[in-house]
Amino acid sequence: MNDQTALKLEKATKFYHRGTETVHAVDNISLAIENGDYCTIVGPSGSGKTTLMNLMGCLDHPTSGKVWVNGKEIERADEKVLTRMRQTSIGFVFQQFFLIPTLTVLENVQLPSLFARKAATEHAKELLTLVGLANRLDHLPGQLSGGEMQRVAIARSLVNSPPIVLADEPTGNLDSRNAEMIMGLFDKLHESGMTIVVVTHNEHLAGKGGKTIAIEDGKITN
Amino acid sequence: MTYMKVAISNLRRNPVRSVLTGLSLAVSAATLCVVLSLDRGYTRAVTEELVAKTGVHMYITKEGCPIEAASVIAQGGLSPLYVAEDMTHKVSAVPEVDVVLPFKLFAITTEDGSRTDIFMGITKEIEKIKPEWRYEKGGWFTSDTSVILGGEMARIENLGIGDKMYSEHFDREFVVAGILPRYYSQDDGTFFIPLKTAQELVDRQGKLSAIAIKLKDISTLDATRNQIRASMPPDYYVLGSKELGEGILEFFGSTRVVLYIMAGVAILISIFSIVNTMLMAVLERRREIAYLKCVGAGAGDLLHLISLETLVICITASAAGAITGSFISPIFGRIMRRYLIAFVPSGSISQPDFAIALVSFIICLVVGVACSLYPAFRASRIVPMEVLRNE
Repeated sequence: MNDQTALKLEKATKFYHRGTETVHAVDNISLAIENGDYCTIVGPSGSGKTTLMNLMGCLDHPTSGKVWVNGKEIERADEKVLTRMRQTSIGFVFQQFFLIPTLTVLENVQLPSLFARKAATEHAKELLTLVGLANRLDHLPGQLSGGEMQRVAIARSLVNSPPIVLADEPTGNLDSRNAEMIMGLFDKLHESGMTIVVVTHNEHLAGKGGKTIAIEDGKITN
Repeated sequence: MTYMKVAISNLRRNPVRSVLTGLSLAVSAATLCVVLSLDRGYTRAVTEELVAKTGVHMYITKEGCPIEAASVIAQGGLSPLYVAEDMTHKVSAVPEVDVVLPFKLFAITTEDGSRTDIFMGITKEIEKIKPEWRYEKGGWFTSDTSVILGGEMARIENLGIGDKMYSEHFDREFVVAGILPRYYSQDDGTFFIPLKTAQELVDRQGKLSAIAIKLKDISTLDATRNQIRASMPPDYYVLGSKELGEGILEFFGSTRVVLYIMAGVAILISIFSIVNTMLMAVLERRREIAYLKCVGAGAGDLLHLISLETLVICITASAAGAITGSFISPIFGRIMRRYLIAFVPSGSISQPDFAIALVSFIICLVVGVACSLYPAFRASRIVPMEVLRNE
């Protein structure tokens, strides 16, 4: 693995049990995403793309095979190491935003920096300016639109300055205008040199990334 | 951004639940504070009453008398046990004895049970034995039908010196010879009459409730008690006033146990309430907690966060409960005085103070924080992948 590789999977598999059924969510996948890549992972619901993203995001260990994040192999990493990697190396964006309703926009963005033991008020303000919400710092999430909430979630994913952003269906809850705006933000982040991985089942958005990985039944199909 | 800010913010998300959780702990703290105040207040009041205010160093009573005495004082009626009056002379002959006060104590309850009058037949030795004995008005008995009124009785009966007081129960008229000041003791509610008259009224001539003894030198108490004990019939008790107080406190023991059980139940309920509420709060935020893990929250961060949420509730509720308990414990003291205990000493039988409030606060705080450990542990063990996959 060279220094340019942000994420790498080698014969990675992930099985889990649902009742009596064994689900092969990720089945013998090998791939590499270089630093600065903009990659979209596409596939129908249940194809295993979210599981793949969770492996890349140090949220889970593979059943077999190997996963490297920023050059570190996570198979034998304990929970503390994985937590540290999630603090420093990866920013997550989810479909449901997960903003804390009683914290202001600024406080929500600052939250990951609390766990990383960093003071990030100014940086959080800069990020909110970047996503066009500089005038909404003291608002509560309930006072924002869906698109605005997702922009806050994106700002939050960037507050610890991770080199990689993983987004799972980031436009799934948004109308097309807001979806375009969010994808535009990812373009902007990509242009600044970040590695972006977007999971989506929206074929239209899939074409936005420079690299597209299609997945079905846990296997890469393209 | 601090953990405390996030914890308070989480509590604000469901204020009714937070308040109700706190309320259960506040009730526990208040109950504990009330019980501790009553326990200490009653113990102090009994000790003060029997040891300090009476000036008595020793009592001679009949076997079983500590409880009997308490019962007589509180409930009325005549004790079947008595001390023979001629023992007085035997005791007076002991050189270490300063004053000997034979007395006859009984209580008369009205037919409808609404009022109990306490009568005490005394001799003039009472003026020497009670350190605070003095007259607000009038003086010693002038005849066999004289009565000296305790300060509170004079106020209730609205009587002055020379006024006549009719006792329906005995069909006897008494003349007020003296009125005592208020001592804030049992004396305030007592009718003092000549010993002979008291014995005659209840047909117990030559019989006493007890003999009170004051020594010349308190340091001779043990030796003198042994000496007197040896000279008395075997079924007589010679008790130090402190022992009598301890006997009464022993009698209070069953009430005390009930009170502490109540406090224990209140604490137990609040334990279940806190564990249940915090567990609910964790379970319904599983996705959010999973997300916090995604953005870098470790197990320690989540333990810290959930424990802080509980700590905020516990500090607020325990403090509010302890303060409230301090304020309301005198009300419970009055209830207890009226319904719960046999011997009612003077003064407040509830004595809350800062130390009791602090102890109640600390106990409830520790219990509350301990209750947060399991929910916090559950939060720290949430596996984000499983939650995000399954919910």
